[in-house]
Amino acid sequence: MTTTALVHVVVSGLATGSIYALVAISLVIIYNATRTLNFAQGEMLMISTFVGWSAHAALRLPLPLVLVVAVAAAAGLGWLVERLIIRHAIAATHFDVLIITLGLSLVLRAAAGLVWTHDEFPFPSFFGGRPVVLGPVRVAPVSLGIIGGSLGLMLALAALFRWTRLGRAMRAVAQNQRAARLMGVSVERVYSASWVLAAVVGAIAGVLIAPVIFLSSKMGLVAINGFTAAVLGGFGSLPGAVVGGMLLGVLENLAPLWLPAGIKHSVPFLLMIAILVLRPSGMLGRVRQRKV
Amino acid sequence: MRRAALGAGSALLLLWPFLVPRYFVFLTSLVVVNAIVAIGLNLLSGYTNQLSFGHAGFFAVGAYVAAVLTLRAPGVPVVATLVLAGLATALVGLALGIPCLRLEGLYLAMATLAFGFVVVEAIQNLDWLTRGNDGVAVPTAHLGPLALASDAAKYYLVLGVGALMVAAAVNITRTRTGRALLAIRESEIAAQASGVHLAAYRTLAFAVSAFYTGVAGGLFAFVVGFISPDAFDVFLSVDFVAMIIIGGLGSIPGSVVGAAVITLLYDWLAAFQNYRPLLFGLILIGCMLFMPGGIASRMPKWTQQAQ
Repeated sequence: MTTTALVHVVVSGLATGSIYALVAISLVIIYNATRTLNFAQGEMLMISTFVGWSAHAALRLPLPLVLVVAVAAAAGLGWLVERLIIRHAIAATHFDVLIITLGLSLVLRAAAGLVWTHDEFPFPSFFGGRPVVLGPVRVAPVSLGIIGGSLGLMLALAALFRWTRLGRAMRAVAQNQRAARLMGVSVERVYSASWVLAAVVGAIAGVLIAPVIFLSSKMGLVAINGFTAAVLGGFGSLPGAVVGGMLLGVLENLAPLWLPAGIKHSVPFLLMIAILVLRPSGMLGRVRQRKV
Repeated sequence: MRRAALGAGSALLLLWPFLVPRYFVFLTSLVVVNAIVAIGLNLLSGYTNQLSFGHAGFFAVGAYVAAVLTLRAPGVPVVATLVLAGLATALVGLALGIPCLRLEGLYLAMATLAFGFVVVEAIQNLDWLTRGNDGVAVPTAHLGPLALASDAAKYYLVLGVGALMVAAAVNITRTRTGRALLAIRESEIAAQASGVHLAAYRTLAFAVSAFYTGVAGGLFAFVVGFISPDAFDVFLSVDFVAMIIIGGLGSIPGSVVGAAVITLLYDWLAAFQNYRPLLFGLILIGCMLFMPGGIASRMPKWTQQAQ
């Protein structure tokens, strides 16, 4: 295999990987605030992308506005879900909340099917079709756009967590909820903010990936790969989510070159089982000590 | 009260094929098959707090072992086939359970979810054995000279096996093993402090749960008569979880009721396929918010097994 082809495969792997990383980040944001996994993350991503697409189809909005519509829809959806459902289960066990988000994912997917049918739709892309020539290598602009857009969003998130009041509050809640509350942080507001922020990150990931994998009620399944990415990096760690996502994307694209075609789709799952068994805390995660 | 209800219930179940049309006999067989899975899953989730989203995978292993065995060795009596299907699945359960011992909660849920995907993928790709996406037409089961071809005959097979499995599950809670599992359910730390070997019992629960699901998978293959990989997707695992959530975690009568509710809803909503997940999802959310103990928590006292 030539180096050119290898570079090509790695770049498109990094592109899918950035999406996995974004989804992983959105899962980790919610996990850090509420210690639960949001099974409906993929479906929330799918619904907001669909809303953006409908706006595009009905009003002929330009793409940047489509992104704004999708992000607004996601923010509204995230806020509603947290306020109407999750907040009421605040005293419930993680197990119960997990089941609730599982139910929510079923409801959202079915609702999307009723509104937009279960067909696949082409989604307009920000990026042109002509390959970009980088020295000897030709790269699809979509890949570069996805990587660039995701990196930009990740930097913005890093800035948010590092330098804003909200970001500090979110980090405080992730570390120790009671201490955060004692310091005057409104934990409830952090819950709300986390769900909204996670939904927004998901929506941006959805708008970026929809031109590549088509828009359909099934696109929420990308959340499973997002979870694998988060586990790979160490669940709860944001840098881990990024590294895990990129690694998963590249491995998934490279694996079919050496492995038999039949197990291509199993790669993320086998990888997840392997990581969970060998190093449950992931690459960048810390081992959580349990107090008795 | 308990005795009278049990007697009347058994009589009704035995006479069932003579009382109702054929389709309802088939449907009842499916309810019993699902009830066996729900009990198996509940032994794992309800007792040892290990949530599994991969039971469709175990179910598929059981179904395919039974189907392939009946195809390749038609002489094997159906009871032996079912036991083998259960044992093979239990082995797979051990293979998955031992490495997963260190995992808890979310991680275990995701590992089992991944397992479910891998099983379907494996069935699709091992076509020399499973005929891949084409599926397998399951031959008629034989019990000695009897060919279990009619819906009623299959029903009695399912009912007999189901009764055995329910009785075993009820009695498990009265043995040393069962008490250990109950102790783990109440508090893992207290159980460990009292000398319950947590890892051993968790693995055992995994294997027993897989055994139940494997036997049910074998029965499913015979009842339905045709199996293909798309019948065992992740949504089936979700349905199994829904059964024990609705029925009640850690309750055997609850498992049976939950299985009946979901199976019958499935049938009634067959014409409204697009609304089914909507309803199931709403039921799950509503159950967790308003009735976390499931239906079992609202059932009269005499239905609860002695604990």
